[in-house]
Formats: sequence, C-alpha cells, structure tokens
Amino acid sequence: MGDDLPRTLTRAALACAVTAVLGAVAAAALRADPAIIGWLAALAFLAVAVAAGALARGLAAPNDLREARHRLGPSHPAPLPADAITRPGMFGRMWGYALGAFGVLALVPFVALARRQAPRGTAWSAGARLVDADGRALKADSVDVGGVTTVFPEGNVGAPETATLLIRLDDGLLRPQPGRAGWAPAGNVAYSKICTHAGCPVAIYRHASYQLYCPCHQSVFDVLDAAQPISGPATRALPQLALDVDSAGYLVARGDFSEPVGPDEWWRPV
Amino acid sequence: MMSSRLARFADERFGSNAAVRYFKAKVFPDNWSFYLGEFALYAFALLVGTGIWLTFVYEASPAGAYDSVVALSRAAPIGFLVRQIHHWSAVTFVAAILLHMGRIFFTAAFRKPRELNWVVGILMLVLASLAGFTGYSLPFDALSGTGVRIADSVLLSVPLVGGWAAAVLNGGGFPGPLLLSHLYTFHVYYLPIAIALLLAAHLGMMVYQKHTQFVKDEGHVVGRRFWPDYALRAVAAMFFSFAVIFALAASVEINPIADYGRYHDWTVPNPAVPDWYAAFLDGALRLGPPWEATIAGHPVPALFWPGVVMPLVVFAVVVCWPWIDARFTRDDAAHSVLVEPADAPWRVGAGVALLFAGLVLTLAAADDQQAFALHVPVQGLVNFYRVLLPAGSIAAFFLASLFARELQARARRHGGEPERVVALRRNAEGGYVEEDPQPEREPQTA
Repeated sequence: MGDDLPRTLTRAALACAVTAVLGAVAAAALRADPAIIGWLAALAFLAVAVAAGALARGLAAPNDLREARHRLGPSHPAPLPADAITRPGMFGRMWGYALGAFGVLALVPFVALARRQAPRGTAWSAGARLVDADGRALKADSVDVGGVTTVFPEGNVGAPETATLLIRLDDGLLRPQPGRAGWAPAGNVAYSKICTHAGCPVAIYRHASYQLYCPCHQSVFDVLDAAQPISGPATRALPQLALDVDSAGYLVARGDFSEPVGPDEWWRPV
Repeated sequence: MMSSRLARFADERFGSNAAVRYFKAKVFPDNWSFYLGEFALYAFALLVGTGIWLTFVYEASPAGAYDSVVALSRAAPIGFLVRQIHHWSAVTFVAAILLHMGRIFFTAAFRKPRELNWVVGILMLVLASLAGFTGYSLPFDALSGTGVRIADSVLLSVPLVGGWAAAVLNGGGFPGPLLLSHLYTFHVYYLPIAIALLLAAHLGMMVYQKHTQFVKDEGHVVGRRFWPDYALRAVAAMFFSFAVIFALAASVEINPIADYGRYHDWTVPNPAVPDWYAAFLDGALRLGPPWEATIAGHPVPALFWPGVVMPLVVFAVVVCWPWIDARFTRDDAAHSVLVEPADAPWRVGAGVALLFAGLVLTLAAADDQQAFALHVPVQGLVNFYRVLLPAGSIAAFFLASLFARELQARARRHGGEPERVVALRRNAEGGYVEEDPQPEREPQTA
C-alpha cells in the first residue's frame, strides 16, 4: 500500500494534466478569455509538478549518499615550463602587439560611425505659426489666462523636440530676463516641453504656483522666471520660444528656441 | 522501449552509456535554497519559448512597433496570454537570479574555487536586466518610450563618447529610425545568446567543480543521486515554476500598453515608473543632486553620476566581492562547505546594507506617489531619502550584524547540537518507554 500510493497519485496527477491541457486547447479554440486558458495551463503544469514530486518521494533513497570530490588544483607540476613562445623576450611580446593591432583595426568601422552630430535645431523658425496638437492655429487670446496648451510649429505637429508649452499669464506677472522683454505678447509665454534633465515631457502645470513639474524625476521650473529650475535634479532652464503676433493676429515664433532643447551632453556648446 | 533503443544507438556510436552511467550516479547536495537558481533557468526556458513565438508578430520600426503589439492582443486571446507569460517570466527571471545571488552571497558559496562562477552569475544578472529593459521597450508605448528617452539621455551624459554612442544607437537623433531595430537585435540576438553561453559556462563549472553543501565534509559531496532522485525534483521544480508564472500571467495584467498609448515625446503617463528591477536606477536619478560639472569647457550633466558612475561602482564592487571577501577573512583556501550566514555577521551586515540601499533607491523611484499619499512635499521626501540612503545603509549594516551575532550566540548556547530525537513506545502496561535514539545514519558511499 505504502509503495502504491505515490504511483497512484502520480498517475492521477498526469491524467489531470492531460485533461487540463485538452481543456486549454478547447478554450483557445473557442477564443475563450485568455485568463481561462492560462489557468488551465497552470493547472496542467501544477499537476505534472505534483506527479514528479510524488514519484520522487516514492523512489527517494532513504539515506544520503557520499561521493568523493576530486582535487581541482593546482596540478602537478604547477608551473608550466617556458617554451620558445612563452619565454620572456621581445619575440613573445611582438606577437601581442601584432594581434593587438588587429584589435585596433576591428574598432575602425565602429569609430567611423562616430560622426559628431551638428548642433541640433528644431523645426521652429521665424514666422512659424503656433498650432495645437490638432493643427489649429492659435491667436493671442486662444488660451485663457491661467491655461496651458501644447503647441507645435504649423506643418510640423509632433516633429521631434518641437513640443512647446504655451502658458497664458496675467499681464505683468512675468519677470522677463534682459533681452526677452517682448517675447510674451499678451501674457503668452512659451517654453520647450522637453525636460533639460532626461528628456521627459514636462507635462504638469501647477497654475496656482506658476510652476512646471516633470512627472519623471520631479524637476520643478519657475514659469515666471524664465523656467529656471527651482527644485529636483534639473540644472538648466527650459529653453524659451520668443513669440510675436502676425498681421492676421496669430501667434508666431520669432525663431528657434533660445538654447538647445533637451538634455545636456559633452559636446553641447556652453 | 524507445529510450533504451535510443541509448543503444548512441552507445554504439559514442560509447555514451559510460557517461550516462556516471551522471545518473552523480550526487547532488539537497537544500531548498539550491532551487532558486533553477527557477531562473526555467524562467529563461519559458522566455525563449514565448519569445520565439513573439518574433513572428512583432514589427521593429518606430511607426509599426506599438500597433503590432496591440494587434497581437486583439487578434487572438492567446496572443495576449503569450505576451503576459513572456513579461511575467522576465520579471521572475530577474527576481530568481537576485534571490539565488543572495543565497550564494550569504552562505559564501562564491569563495575559492568558485569566484569565476560568481562573476559569470553577476554578468548574467546584468544581461538579464538589459534584456528586460530592451524587451519592455519594444512596444514603444508612452511609458517605455519615455524610459528609452531617459536611457538615451543617460547615454548622452557620458563624457566624450556619449553623443556618439547615442547617435549610433538611434541612427540619428532620438527617436532615430534604427532605434527599435537596434533594441530588437539586442533583445532577441546578442543578449539571449550571451545569456545562453554564460549559462552553459555557469552550469559546466558547477558540474565540474561540484556543488557546495552545508554538510561539513570538505572531501565528499553528500546528497542524493541525480537519477532518479534529483532529476525528479528538478522536473517538479520546473513544472511548479511554469505553473506559478502561468497563474500570474492569467490573473494579473502586467504592462497594459493599450492604456498607455503610443510614444510621443510630448506625452507621458503619470506616475511613470519602470519595471521593478530597473527602478533603483530611476530612483538614483531622482535623488541625484542638480550638479552640472564643467570639464575643459564641456558640460558633464547631472545624470552622469547617479546614472552611469553609481551603477558601475556597484557592479565593480559586486564583481570583485570574492576577492574583497578573501582579503577581509584572510582566507585563500578552497572551500566546498557553505558558511551558515549567522557565522559571518559582518558579511550579513554588508549584504543587508547593499539590499537596503537598493530598496531605498527603488522606493525613491515612486517618491511622487508616496508624497501624494502622505500629503508631504516631494522635495521633502527626496531629502529624506538622500539622508536615509547612507545613514540607513550604515544602520542596516550594524543591525543585521548584531542580529546575526545574536543568532550565532543562541546557536552556541544550545551547543550547536540538533535537538535530541527519541522514540517512545507504548508498553503492555499502558506506559511509555523511551527507546534508544536511532543510531546516526552513516551515509553510504555511492
């Protein structure tokens, strides 16, 4: 009886596994909920685990066994005798230099890929109208005071690194930096939406405190003070887009951003 | 019997029965903690199996990647299930490797002559994490695309060569036309093949050098035969791990990309947190100070220190640990008998301190959600974690060492002897007589 129990259990478990697999196949054929297929397959695996476990218990040797460990090292005699190639001297070293030279050669194609990128500009240019994600051009009063919207240059919606936050402030709140006095017509101020820390979208505007907040690493930028970082890991202000109003009353850019967009790198001019 | 016919076929051509006989009789030490590495192996098998299927439906292009993965879920319910199993296997894979590594560390199994196998294991952990990162980036949804953008920024922060490496990876600026095909090549080709080769080396070294054990007998392996005892246990462990992963995949949806939408550089889900094993890096970026150094007129972005230097330093220390440990213990001898963790309190302290630091960084990766739930300012929590990281790790070192020392002292008070086992037998008068304890079973020689 004691010997038969594991065997009976093993057989029953394997039968259960076959049934569950057939059930899973049928469920897949009937396009059942994937959860049902998954649970049936899990049940089949569990049944096989039980079968193997029961069999292991039934067949287990009563006692532990011992097996001698062979000596791993060092071998005898331990030091290898110097031969014509390994003996100290220029001959052996020259082989090293020659093979190393091939290693350098192998690097050449990779280094050839190392063309430094020209300083990146974005698709913003002088006179480009500001449009929202649906391509609608915006006027100076399109965004309510206290509001924010994501804008792109007309004809380039979604182009890399063009995403810009257009924020409407009460007139006179902004503290423009020297040389940026006319960049925010009617309280419309525009900053790059690409975080200068790690390139995430600075997606959250806290209009009560005039702060921009990046959900990735919690850098906070002061909208009233040229989007300077005030807390978090960012070290550089969000680049500002100088705005103007064209003859038809639409908001336009006066050119590209004030500084390069996005995270810093070694070759970026400072 | 099919199997005996196969054995005869191979034996007549290779004389393979000798090897089969040898391996069947090979003795493996047995302990529950020795199965942790096996779980990683079985998760890897499942990853390869489901991954092969997924290659038939995935499109590695910036325009088509997201749609191909979403369509996979819509076309057939089982497609969704396969992706869920794949992702849950990846999560299990990394978790099992970490647990296995913890067992190796705390029992000092990495000591001579097994230092190289420790190094191979650490390399596999790094490759597994990279495989996980490249894998969950492939759908290029709003969350994972943002993660790739952050990784791209970290790469850019490397002095001199960062911009070049990022340009090569992208085939241009971010997100370049070659980005997904490069991630895909790494995910389905270089990384799994490198893991498979290292796995073969890992198991080969383990078999050749023989497994470590708790039984204090340096000269012998004490345990169970491979066939059938250990083989059946391994099969049970394999099917059990499959069952767990399938049950997880069936019941908990992981990475719901359809909710996130496709990646654009101007949208991101909030909160944004990576897979758990990459979270410590994201936490480090959050805690990193806003310092931008300038070297010879070139900027070194703030990302460089927490994003590149910190993980490389941790990697170097962990890889060199067997040699650091040997220096500390002044022990250069070969060992096959494991150390009870409590017998080396300082090692317990070091391991727990590292785990604590990893835990703080991982928690920091969700500091915005914690700040929201606790109604405290995020920056306050960031400052708290900045203090907790060094101070808490040092405290963890001493507390864990003290705890281990206490366990050690208790074991010593009990004389280190196992509790005495007696057999009671009822006698004819209705009372009990104590029988002689069973004579200690002398292990047989294989």
